[in-house]
Amino acid sequence: MKKFLSILLILCMVFMFAACGGETNEGGEEGGGEAALPEVIKIGFFAPVSAPSAAADGLSSLNSAKLAVKLINENGGINGSTVELVDMDDGLDTTEAANIAEKLAYDDSVVAVVSGSYSGPTKVAAPIFQEAGKLMVSAYAVHPDVVNAGDLIFSQSFPGKLQGTAAAIYANDTLKAKKIAIISVDLDFGATQIEAFKAQLEKMGSDAEIVYEQAIAISDSDMSSAVTAAAAAGADLIYSVNYYEQAAQVLREVGQKGLDIPVLGTEGADSFELLNIAGEYANGLYITTNMNRDDQNAETQAYIENYEAEYGIQPDMVGASVYDAFQVLFAAMKEVGVDTQAMRDYIAGMQNFDTVTGTLIRYNEDGSAVKPVQIQLVTNGEYHSAGVIDDMEVIDPANYQ
Amino acid sequence: MFTQQLMNALAIGSVYALTAMGATLIYGILGILDIANAGAYLIGAYLGWYIYYGTGSIVLAFVLSIVAVGILGILIQKFIYSPILAKPNTLSIIPLVAAVGLFTMSSDLVRLICGPYSLSYNFDFGVTSIKIGPVVLVPAWILIFALTAVLLLILWIILNKTKLGLAWRATANDPEIAKVCGVNTNNAMALSYILGYGFAAAAGIMVGILYNSITPALGEVPSYKMLAIIVLGGLGNPLGTVLAGLIIGFTEVFLSAYTSIPIPKDAIAFVVLIIMLLIKPEGLLGQKNKI
Repeated sequence: MKKFLSILLILCMVFMFAACGGETNEGGEEGGGEAALPEVIKIGFFAPVSAPSAAADGLSSLNSAKLAVKLINENGGINGSTVELVDMDDGLDTTEAANIAEKLAYDDSVVAVVSGSYSGPTKVAAPIFQEAGKLMVSAYAVHPDVVNAGDLIFSQSFPGKLQGTAAAIYANDTLKAKKIAIISVDLDFGATQIEAFKAQLEKMGSDAEIVYEQAIAISDSDMSSAVTAAAAAGADLIYSVNYYEQAAQVLREVGQKGLDIPVLGTEGADSFELLNIAGEYANGLYITTNMNRDDQNAETQAYIENYEAEYGIQPDMVGASVYDAFQVLFAAMKEVGVDTQAMRDYIAGMQNFDTVTGTLIRYNEDGSAVKPVQIQLVTNGEYHSAGVIDDMEVIDPANYQ
Repeated sequence: MFTQQLMNALAIGSVYALTAMGATLIYGILGILDIANAGAYLIGAYLGWYIYYGTGSIVLAFVLSIVAVGILGILIQKFIYSPILAKPNTLSIIPLVAAVGLFTMSSDLVRLICGPYSLSYNFDFGVTSIKIGPVVLVPAWILIFALTAVLLLILWIILNKTKLGLAWRATANDPEIAKVCGVNTNNAMALSYILGYGFAAAAGIMVGILYNSITPALGEVPSYKMLAIIVLGGLGNPLGTVLAGLIIGFTEVFLSAYTSIPIPKDAIAFVVLIIMLLIKPEGLLGQKNKI
């Protein structure tokens, strides 16, 4: 009997150690092989869900985060482990973002974080995660301070200057603009793109001139005076560096006044919201963005289909970028487990990774993504591809430091 | 271009005047800077949208939304502002804080109930624009001009040609004396809220049609810009509010069209306000010239 009990005790101990081993966060074997993973992998997430002015983007972000987690779990999780989303609402408030970052950064059960928020909250959170040794992938924040926080911070979005440069090339080479009016949001988002846009025109020796320029407060919906002035200045192109609400108002003004001036926008106008607000006047809008809805890549089409099935609305660039940030993390976890340094090294070495927002060519040393700039044109109320800018000289964020 | 900008300015100025009118009427009688009026503007726009999509009638959308938000105004006055003001030695900041709280709550409630995405009226005027010489008129502007004129006329008739209006003016002038003279000041206050909140609802629907977009953040700009307009107009003076709205509309449009001053457009209202207060501290028309 004693012998039997001893064997039973030893067996119990063996099973206990085996079970404990399964719950460690160790991973780290690089390059293939299944690293040990916890049963539940928790990924932190924050987005501006409750701020009235940013809640649409916040909800798009949260929807995509939930979809990414749902789909990975339905497909067997990460090497058998279930993914759990720890989602937080920063309310577009930097103090709240700092509190959230502290909470997620020092929660040992959270293995990595995705920011689905704007530059303001993300650049406050980034140094906290870096300091705590936790990996963060930012989905669409454009401010350079986000990736400058350290080597554990990655960004899926390209910097504003890069987008402005690509816009100048398209305006000059393809749209053949000679007299350009600029109507932009009075924020970093507008200022950095305009600066790069003008610099690129000059660098190319373009004979296009800026005939009118107006910075508009983010809260302002009235574009009547700016569009009237742009038309009076003889503009043959309006470069509208605005978020979707204002970009839609620029289009409505141009359309309602019967002006025949094409409009070139940015990824800020890449939203189904713009199509709803601008209606028929959205047709003919060009934008620089990172999402190509015509991309036949299975990832892109599956995402669009799944998102529409789940939420009954079209996905936008913001949501797609969040979804991509999760795909990057999932890929790293599948390969190297959840060890922070191993994940960081894996992500830093990623090349030609298919995402919903096109091929992620690689990450730069500072953690910013290198990917082509897509040109989309709205036709019949839908975004369609109208070109791509993939010249490495233009799309490498390292050239905009 | 000048004539076109003139029309642009008139349209935006009318929107400002109408948006600030509700808060002006409430300040005129209660002395409260009712920022919650921007919440009424928001709720009015959303109610109007649901009624429009439910019935297909824009007239019903205006009428029912104005009535419903007007009743909401009475309830807020009766159950929130009146108890606060009835307390002895109430600091004037307390109703203001309550108003800020109500406004924040209204934005959040709308977001939670209706969702964060924009809703579009997609109201079809039948024509895209009307060309008169060099000027292009957008149909939504004509609706705004007409509705602003009609609502202001109704307001003028109520305040100047009815007993209730007389009671309103007496209460606005001196509530204590009005009460002693037998004026039902409660009715006058209720009238302020019906008109004030009703005006806000109408303005919300019109702005929703004009920009074809309403979001839970719709009330944010009016919540502070209306302050500049009612102070500039002479705190509680409806005619002054119309003038102030037009002045700010014209200043914004012409400064942004002909200059490149590094002041955000939204700040122009406050720059005009500061200049005016330095020259004429009582506002454009002052409180003594109330209609």
